[in-house]
Amino acid sequence: MEHDKLGRLLPDGVDPRDADELDATWQMLGAIESPAPDSERMRARIDAVIDAIDHAPGFTRTTEGRRHPTRGYVLQGLATAAMLVIGIGIGWFARSGGFASGASRPASNDATAQIAAMRAEMRDLREMVSLSLMQQQSASERLKGVTWTGQLDRPSGEVVTALLDALMHDPNVNVRLATIDALERFASQEEVRRGAILAVQQQRSPLVQIALIDFMVKTNERESVAALRRLAMDPQVNDAVRARAEWGLQQLG
Amino acid sequence: MHAVRNGDVAKLGILFERHHRPLFEFLARVTGNAAAAEDLVQDVFVRVLKYRATWRDEGRFDTWLFRIARNARVDYFKNRSADAPIEAAAEHPATTPLASETLARNREVARLQRALMLLREDRRELIVLARYRGMKLEAIADLLGVEVGTVKVRMHRAVRELRDIFLQLDEGASWNTTNSVGSYPTA
Repeated sequence: MEHDKLGRLLPDGVDPRDADELDATWQMLGAIESPAPDSERMRARIDAVIDAIDHAPGFTRTTEGRRHPTRGYVLQGLATAAMLVIGIGIGWFARSGGFASGASRPASNDATAQIAAMRAEMRDLREMVSLSLMQQQSASERLKGVTWTGQLDRPSGEVVTALLDALMHDPNVNVRLATIDALERFASQEEVRRGAILAVQQQRSPLVQIALIDFMVKTNERESVAALRRLAMDPQVNDAVRARAEWGLQQLG
Repeated sequence: MHAVRNGDVAKLGILFERHHRPLFEFLARVTGNAAAAEDLVQDVFVRVLKYRATWRDEGRFDTWLFRIARNARVDYFKNRSADAPIEAAAEHPATTPLASETLARNREVARLQRALMLLREDRRELIVLARYRGMKLEAIADLLGVEVGTVKVRMHRAVRELRDIFLQLDEGASWNTTNSVGSYPTA
């Protein structure tokens, strides 16, 4: 694997004594220990990225080759436990016919109302977990939080606000990228469209800028034309971003 | 990579398993910072997804991957130049006594690692690619976008400078009584 001999890597005509001295240094380089990655932690982070992107529209959702992170997150564990308890509660109510077996209203109506309330509670709990994860210090947990928002049936405005906030301010590029994907399902909301246009002008990461341009094109956001034009003409902006902005302008016609 | 390019994102996990160690080693050796290398490996795989459409079958995948890694590293340190300088080898105190010969040898190796970190980054990268990644001259030339002859000339210059720095380093001032062979700080 390694080039054990330096000689083959040097140009012709190098003084042999010089080559020998350099080769001694070259040999000693082999004694510097190899850094060892924390593969498990890195894999968990990559899985979080995969999850985040896999739940975005436009991607095939396969699981082959995927290994779920072995480390569970405390919040997720608590949420799962709480949901289990609520789920059991729902089952119990459904089976027992609810509390109102002797009341004047039919018992099944009360039970249905209780089940609906519990389902709403489960939704709230999921939402709470998503929002909590998005506030965590670890970028991979924030990524998880963003991913969880994709599983919410009817997320509240608070979730959208949190996603927009993450898009604008999260220090981690991967979280911001995942946020853009997560925001796509809310693209019909005025607040999201305005936030994306603002972000494309403020973000400095080329990756995020390109993803936002793609977002504008996918959502056919014509209001973004002026912002994209400024990007395309700004010499300070990364070449790839400028090219993408030009492409975006063409797409938006 | 074909599957990933076609949108089968889960296959990225397989690519990760195959390539994350060499990528990490390359990035850790070039940056001298294991924590930064971990961040960068993740960034590289995100970029693989982002730019998967730009991968061409005829190209070598690892050359493409390392090209992405180089760009990711440049971006990473561009944004952190003030607060994340490249770190030299850690100086951990000895935990077990070593024979004097081994001690001396380890000091030399640690000094060499320090010299490597003091080398200009493009030259350090060249050494890492050839010495530790075992990349062929042709592959390095392809990665850097230069001729093989140019790689050879640069390699000669890089190793000579490394040796010069190594010889100039004052062992007493730079390395106290450490007997650790260079390791990689994680903070």
